[in-house]
Amino acid sequence: MMRFKALIFLSFAWFSAYTSASEETYQFETDAQSALFFELTKELRCPMCQNQNIADSDAMIAADLRRKVYQLVNEGQSREEIIDYMKQRYGDFVYYQPPVNATTIWLWLLPLIFVFIGIVLVIRSRQQKPVTQDNAKLEAAEKLLEEDK
Amino acid sequence: MRKVSFFVLPLILFVGLAIFLFQGLFSDPREHESTLLNKPVPSFVLPDLMNTDLTYTTEVFVGKVTLLNVWGVWCVTCAVEIPFLEQLKNEGKHIVGLYYDQDIDPDFGIKTVERVQQEVEQKLGQLGNPYAYNIFDVKRDLSLDLGVTGAPETFLIDKQGKVRLHHIGDINPRVWQNKFASVYQELIAE
Repeated sequence: MMRFKALIFLSFAWFSAYTSASEETYQFETDAQSALFFELTKELRCPMCQNQNIADSDAMIAADLRRKVYQLVNEGQSREEIIDYMKQRYGDFVYYQPPVNATTIWLWLLPLIFVFIGIVLVIRSRQQKPVTQDNAKLEAAEKLLEEDK
Repeated sequence: MRKVSFFVLPLILFVGLAIFLFQGLFSDPREHESTLLNKPVPSFVLPDLMNTDLTYTTEVFVGKVTLLNVWGVWCVTCAVEIPFLEQLKNEGKHIVGLYYDQDIDPDFGIKTVERVQQEVEQKLGQLGNPYAYNIFDVKRDLSLDLGVTGAPETFLIDKQGKVRLHHIGDINPRVWQNKFASVYQELIAE
């Protein structure tokens, strides 16, 4: 039992050490730099853990990327320069906004095409069909009615 | 005409969706092409892991085909992969380790090099040593420049020092056969 308690205590100790490790404190010279840092760490995707940005992720690679972003921001690099720096190393994948190219253009085109098809369908179904009289059919119907009587 | 499209259209949509989803079953979301393909290894000046007086630069890759294997003693999959790497080494392949430590904080550094060396020696003593030498990526800068996401990862580097293949995950006989073997033969012949 003692041992079990010690284990629990240890795991908590480890956990608290771990969380404080992920809350690095970065000092910035200007508010604009600090704002840029927080903006970028939210928009850059962690390459290891698919659906987290590098601000959220506890993965070591995310910590390293944060450190790099901090370093680049402090060097006075612009937003675009830092994004390019990351894309050069980790590909378009690392930035949440995909570039427009031959493959990704469908992300924008497909919804437009669907909306267009929808509009066409609605318009076509609204158009009333001209009533055409088919005398032969009418006569046949009359006859059936007569027979039923 | 109306009847045909009533059946055929949904069928086409269904088949299309089924093919799309079926492909998804076999795609690995972690796999994305390295931006370094056919480009030289980014420049670096880093020490040897076991003898920190020795430094390496990109020139060490010139003249031979190299497998650059990113690893660490803390990495479980690396331990699985090392025996197979040793087998490759015994077949005459030139394998270089790119070692990085998880517990070294680049800003504070809470672990000594001696400690790291000790751990590595112990690990390789257990598993066998496939590495010609290990480059020590002290602050994980080279890893970042290489686009490394974790360990293990392996780069196949040609005689001009250019990256020709990047593999995320362990190398096993199947991966070697499907992904590396033919490229490796080509590079050796170059």
